[in-house]
Amino acid sequence: MNPGLLKLAVVGSRSAYGRLAGIAGGVAAGVCLLLLLWGGANGLSARDDRGSWLRETGRPSVAASPTEDPTTSGPGTPVPLTTDTVLMEANPVEVFRDQLINRRDVAAFSTTTVKIPGIVTPPEPGRYYASPALQRLIASTPRDELGDRFGTFAGTIDDNALPGPDSLIVVTGATEAELRQNGRAVLVSDFTTNPYGGSTAAYNTVLSIGAIAVFFPVLLLISIVTGLGAAQRRERFATLRLIGASPQVVSRIAAVETAVPSLIGALLGVVLAIALRPAAAQIPVNDTRMFTADLVTGWAAAAAIVALVVSASALVAAHRTARAGIGPLGVTRAVHEKTPTKWRIVPLLAGLAAMTSAIAITCTPHLRSPWLEMPLLIGGFALILVGIVVVGPWLTRLVSGMGLRQARSAAGVIAASRIQRTPVATFRSVSGLVIAVFVVSVFAGASSIIESTEAPPARPGLLQPTSLHATVGAGHTPAQVSSAARQARGLPGIRSATIGYGPAALSTRDASPEIYLRAADAPALGFQDIPATEIVTVDTSFLYSWTTQPRALTPAPAANLDEMVPVVIVLGTDGTPEAIDRARTLLNSSGVTAHPAATSRDTGLQSSTRLIQGLAVLAYLGMFVAVAIAGLSLAVSTAAAILDRKRVLGLMRLMGMPVSVLRRIITLEAAVPLLSVLLLSVGLGFLVAWLMVTGINDSYRMTWPAPDYFTALGLSLLLAIGAVTATFSLIRGTTAMTTTRFE
Amino acid sequence: MNNSLTLLGLLSREPSYGYDLKHSYDRYFGAGKALAFGQVYSTLARMVRDELIRALGEETGGGPDRKKYEITVAGQNRVREWLFTPDVPSESLQSELFAKTVVALLLDDDADRLLDVQRGEHMARMRELTRLKKDADLLRVLMCDHGLFHIEADLRWIDLTSARLTQLKKELQSA
Amino acid sequence: MNANDTVAPILSARGLHHSFGQTEALRGIDLDVHAGEVLAVMGPSGSGKSTLLHCLAGVLVPDGGSVTYRPAGRAPVETSALKEPKRARLRLTDFGFVFQFGQLLPELTAADNVSIPLLLAGTRRPEALRRSRELLERLGLEGLGAKLPGELSGGQAQRVAVARALVTSPAVLFADEPTGSLDSLASENVLTLMLELVREAGTTVVIITHDARTAAYADREVIVRDGAVGASYRVSA
Ligand SMILES: Nc1ncnc2c1ncn2[C@@H]1O[C@H](COP(=O)(O)OP(=O)(O)O)[C@@H](O)[C@H]1O
Ligand SMILES: [Mg+2]
Repeated sequence: MNPGLLKLAVVGSRSAYGRLAGIAGGVAAGVCLLLLLWGGANGLSARDDRGSWLRETGRPSVAASPTEDPTTSGPGTPVPLTTDTVLMEANPVEVFRDQLINRRDVAAFSTTTVKIPGIVTPPEPGRYYASPALQRLIASTPRDELGDRFGTFAGTIDDNALPGPDSLIVVTGATEAELRQNGRAVLVSDFTTNPYGGSTAAYNTVLSIGAIAVFFPVLLLISIVTGLGAAQRRERFATLRLIGASPQVVSRIAAVETAVPSLIGALLGVVLAIALRPAAAQIPVNDTRMFTADLVTGWAAAAAIVALVVSASALVAAHRTARAGIGPLGVTRAVHEKTPTKWRIVPLLAGLAAMTSAIAITCTPHLRSPWLEMPLLIGGFALILVGIVVVGPWLTRLVSGMGLRQARSAAGVIAASRIQRTPVATFRSVSGLVIAVFVVSVFAGASSIIESTEAPPARPGLLQPTSLHATVGAGHTPAQVSSAARQARGLPGIRSATIGYGPAALSTRDASPEIYLRAADAPALGFQDIPATEIVTVDTSFLYSWTTQPRALTPAPAANLDEMVPVVIVLGTDGTPEAIDRARTLLNSSGVTAHPAATSRDTGLQSSTRLIQGLAVLAYLGMFVAVAIAGLSLAVSTAAAILDRKRVLGLMRLMGMPVSVLRRIITLEAAVPLLSVLLLSVGLGFLVAWLMVTGINDSYRMTWPAPDYFTALGLSLLLAIGAVTATFSLIRGTTAMTTTRFE
Repeated sequence: MNNSLTLLGLLSREPSYGYDLKHSYDRYFGAGKALAFGQVYSTLARMVRDELIRALGEETGGGPDRKKYEITVAGQNRVREWLFTPDVPSESLQSELFAKTVVALLLDDDADRLLDVQRGEHMARMRELTRLKKDADLLRVLMCDHGLFHIEADLRWIDLTSARLTQLKKELQSA
Repeated sequence: MNANDTVAPILSARGLHHSFGQTEALRGIDLDVHAGEVLAVMGPSGSGKSTLLHCLAGVLVPDGGSVTYRPAGRAPVETSALKEPKRARLRLTDFGFVFQFGQLLPELTAADNVSIPLLLAGTRRPEALRRSRELLERLGLEGLGAKLPGELSGGQAQRVAVARALVTSPAVLFADEPTGSLDSLASENVLTLMLELVREAGTTVVIITHDARTAAYADREVIVRDGAVGASYRVSA
């Protein structure tokens, strides 16, 4: 192509610079976000890889010994510890305040060959290795609340064994005898490197859907900015055609003049992404921030994104120009868009059908296979996204048609007519926001399954939320337990220490289904209707965190506590986090407990829905990105809608149309398509969330979305209003009456 | 085009011989159709008779071509009257207007005004024709249009000439 | 002598000066427009005709000088001293505008385009549409009310623009080269229909044109040269 002609095409006029700046800026924002998100996804998987050793489940440390009776198992024989194994026990409820600490107790020979990730040699009994974040926490907290649980500090765990800089991980040393006491310790010879255990497919599905949901608005933004100034460009291209350029040449010019600013923008985006990486790493995902290095995408990825964005925008520009059919006398084909037909609903329905069939397969056990469900779910989701964008213009046209018949004001007639004739272009302005709202609804629906687990209220007959309980291991004397209880009572913030008794420790076969208590202790456990006997009993289910029906006390006049053993110890606190942590530290280091001490709140921290909860954080993050981009693209396309009609709007003002009417027109042109598709978006979003959640695991249920959702929805609308009002100043400027001077 | 008034106009610049007068005329207006000597002398004789010009003493060998003429006050008035009286728009007008403009420029007179005056006359005629067209039958409308387009052509020339007056004047005076 | 001389002119400009940056578009223009007359403003391109019209119509506030508008039955206003919202209102209710091209909203039907000024002035839509169709019919556009501007010929589109300018029954119609992009027949058509309506309603017209045949429809013309008014020739009554 002639370089002179090209130069003319790219920077033909002063207004061309504005358009170039717009394209470059939009593409820069888009590419920067793409790179950060890509880095984030990489970072998450790198982080999961580093943390995979924490998922090691080992081999049982006890071998079942054969017995004569096949229905029962014998006491079992311990598998001996060797130099190529370590004995390890994971504490599932090592909680400090409301944070879960990943605790591993290990016992190993000093000559062991097993390498525990992140530390040089396994700690000796009474010593511990902690992650830097945990060590800072220990150092800044009174020892009786946290430090006493672990012993003396031996060193920090290396970063390469930590998911993130905020990870709380501790590896404590213990004696083999201590760990073999409750039979839950396992033997580990090698730590796993598989980060997801059994849920890889589900994890990948959710991640892919999240990626599509976040990337789609970015692509929309890029597509909107590259279409900037279409009207003026059409005129310019018509001139080029007039002086003899062939349609192919014009298409090529269109491609190049979009590719140049896209390239500049994309490179700028790469620089921006590098600059913003440390800031982006500060965003906590799944309780911990990222290591900045985790967000690094590498030059290959950056180059791939730049190449993809630039070539895609160039191809789109060339295609659009070719399709517009610009002749030497201006646009020849389709001055008005083709009227959208009802066929536009097909992709949406196809997407819904794909997702529904994925669910149907999930519910039919003999058909289940992740290789069938995953593509159906992901493909269905992508189709629905595309489907909303495709069906939007048709719905918009339908609504504006009704509006036009009803319109009373000049603004109403003008806006409705414009939407009626150019539904595709008008809908494009709000498509980003509509998609964002859809994505937000999906995420909100999906994360509502976790949001619904809330701390149970304090009620008589249920374990008090401020109390901490631990079952007592077999073989501990009442005196040992009582001394622990006495010690506890002496601590600040601890109000009571109650011991429950039974015929045998709860973990043994002879345990009774009831716990025996002194009636005098019952009020401390929150009971109100107390039978008038000295000893009372309560069902063991009283201790379970999932019990929601109050349990009643029954009198046990004949019982004698002196003939029984302590089975449980319950500490009542004043409810302050300090007191609870002190109580926990005391109980866990007393040596009498069979299980680590727990409160009824702890279960929320270790529930099986944590994976999705973590992803929901990521999802909300994506949602904010999506909403922000959508707001940006709305502003951009509203501005473009004004610029493209600069002349005729200027003449209308000249004829005496007040600026306020122009503002109303612009507002209506954004509001009508937005509102007509918004409800559909919200409904579809929740439907898809439900389909997804049940498709991934049919035991999950959805509830009412969290307030965050309404915040996000409100934010989207605010952004829309902001984006539209931001262009008001543009209206005044660009339609100033002097712009119509070429009369 | 009125030859005698044009010659009178040329003569009003400075006293000239009949021979020089003819050459002046041919240079400005005679493109393609030069004036015959006989016609120049008979015109000059007629103007002497009408006391618009007078002969300035005879030189040796005195034929008519050796006489020098000078314009009289009456002649000067006649020229001005001619210049600033608009003509009824007609097909033959253009050469006349052309002559007037050139003469006015040569005399350093207000050619702009001359053109404006003529322009007003043209516009008035056009308005008249336009008014005639109203409620007239098609044949008559066509006739009026014929007139209108011709007058319009003159007007265009007037517009163009007024836009080029300064340039034209420079060229004429340097010639 | 013209009867107009005895009554005050409907629009009078005194000492208008206006510059766009370095360009001096108007340099001291005095002009009176009399009620009911059709005034043609002629002159070469760039001489300041449009700027003059914009000042007269209250679109632009001149840098110097004043414009006074004397509506029938109301007190005179100095439009050059009004704020933009007031001038906008005045333009909407008292003035009509026709331009060379591209003044119709391309997405609106002809009838809707014509009804916009009425809607802006507060007329109810059914009534506005009825009046628009009526006016379109008078301009020879019966049955074209539902068409889009893109589906009309140039002359038809200009007549729609004329209908829109006249639908509010303005006191003054400003036309800036209204037939500038039409062929002779179409422009004659537009002009005769427009002037017929205008004369019937007694509307004052200021029409910018560099086409003598268009100017011939006027009662009077002024010539603008380099931002100043040249000769002004009255029709000899
Ligand atoms: N908005 C503007 N900015 C700068 N110069 C302008 C503007 N409008 C008009 N002009 C200049 O003012 C002069 C008069 O313009 P205009 O009134 O449009 O002339 P006309 O309508 O007679 O062709 C021209 O030189 C033109 O370039
Ligand atoms: Mg103009």
